[in-house]
Amino acid sequence: MQDRPNAAELAQAVREFIETEVLPQIDDPRLRFRALVAINGLGILEREIALGTPLVRREVDSLARLLGHADPLPEDLEDLRRRASDLNRELALLIRAGDIPEGTLAHLLATVADKLRIASPRYLERYR
Amino acid sequence: MTTDGASTISVELRERLVPIFGTDIAIERLALLAGGASKEAWALDLRTPQGTRQLLVRRAGGGVIHQETLSLEDEHRLLEVASAAGVRVPKPYGYLGEIVGRPAFVSERVSGETIGRRIVQRPELAGARAALPAQMAEELAKIHAIPAERVPFLGGVGARDVLGRLTKEVDRLEDAHPAIELGLAWARQRAPERSETVVLHGDLRVGNLAVIATGLGHVLDWEFGHRGDPAEDVAWPLVRAWRFGVDQLRLGGVGDVEPYLERYNALTGRHITLASLDYWEIVGNLKWAIGALTQSRRHLSGQQRSVELAVLGRLAAEMEFELLHLLERAG
Repeated sequence: MQDRPNAAELAQAVREFIETEVLPQIDDPRLRFRALVAINGLGILEREIALGTPLVRREVDSLARLLGHADPLPEDLEDLRRRASDLNRELALLIRAGDIPEGTLAHLLATVADKLRIASPRYLERYR
Repeated sequence: MTTDGASTISVELRERLVPIFGTDIAIERLALLAGGASKEAWALDLRTPQGTRQLLVRRAGGGVIHQETLSLEDEHRLLEVASAAGVRVPKPYGYLGEIVGRPAFVSERVSGETIGRRIVQRPELAGARAALPAQMAEELAKIHAIPAERVPFLGGVGARDVLGRLTKEVDRLEDAHPAIELGLAWARQRAPERSETVVLHGDLRVGNLAVIATGLGHVLDWEFGHRGDPAEDVAWPLVRAWRFGVDQLRLGGVGDVEPYLERYNALTGRHITLASLDYWEIVGNLKWAIGALTQSRRHLSGQQRSVELAVLGRLAAEMEFELLHLLERAG
């Protein structure tokens, strides 16, 4: 077990450093823009650490139901991610072949909303 | 990505400018405005007997040029043809050949706001926003009237070719994207069988226009010029990403679609329908979702390491979400 700060706290520390100490020193607008992008990137990382695992589990669960798979969900996060990737490929191939499972649109709306909870929560707010 | 300094290119640059502006010239200022893997933009103040000219030098970057973009020589030629057709473009002065190993051209440097968020928000640009929809329609009408034989280097594509190219780009991503697949399947099924093919700007939207107090000053960024269905160009500025947060104004966060479309149809004699714009708006969201994912791969592959490109891979979900909502509405 690593000592604190944990991963989320470390990402937060770096983000706060860029926000409060680096950004105010930057005059070049292009560099400033990239610093803001970097801050945004660290925010994504913090949210993924906090929310990522349950959202991957939810995605795999929804994909398995959509595709009619009954096998139990893996416990390990890496296995879950691999399963999500495999099931997404299966779904993509079905759609490409014109064989779109019933409920695909609703599944995708919920899953992409979950991606935005990590990648861009403020964008998601704009659809309320 | 390596970028040459002003001192490295100024000697060769001056030599290439002599045939255009004469021998009695001097570079007063040369500053890099933007430098990426594909293109650099240099602000150039050139002293001439007639006074100092404010110029812009577009030059290839050090990285691999994006496959779908025009070469600098062709982009310059397209600018010349558009300028002759009365389109409001920065006046092109000449293709310069290679400057220290990379092709470049020189044009007028125009003023005006180009940052999308400012254009849709700033109080002092309210008048410009009111004028923009009709002006965008007018510029599109002029561009779409350019005789295709004057720009024979432009690739020509209809909806099916656009979707074919997008499918190929999706296949080059290593992971699957079912939301994008659903959009592609929808668009393939409804692709217009035949349509008119005209010269398109390919990227005309808020963010690629120099906006002044009276509205549209100049149409910039011609590197995505191609031939295709005119509705593709007319629908592109509707894509939600180009509304810069002012989502309720479907035309680029500055206006409603109907008057813009009416103006375009009145000027061109075409009968593009709102339904056709709905179709191409969905294709536009597909294009930009796939574009964002593809750009992030340029970072991941090491072709162009950039935090901006990296984060773009995650922001593709925004375009996917919009795409799914449009599909839900379209039924």
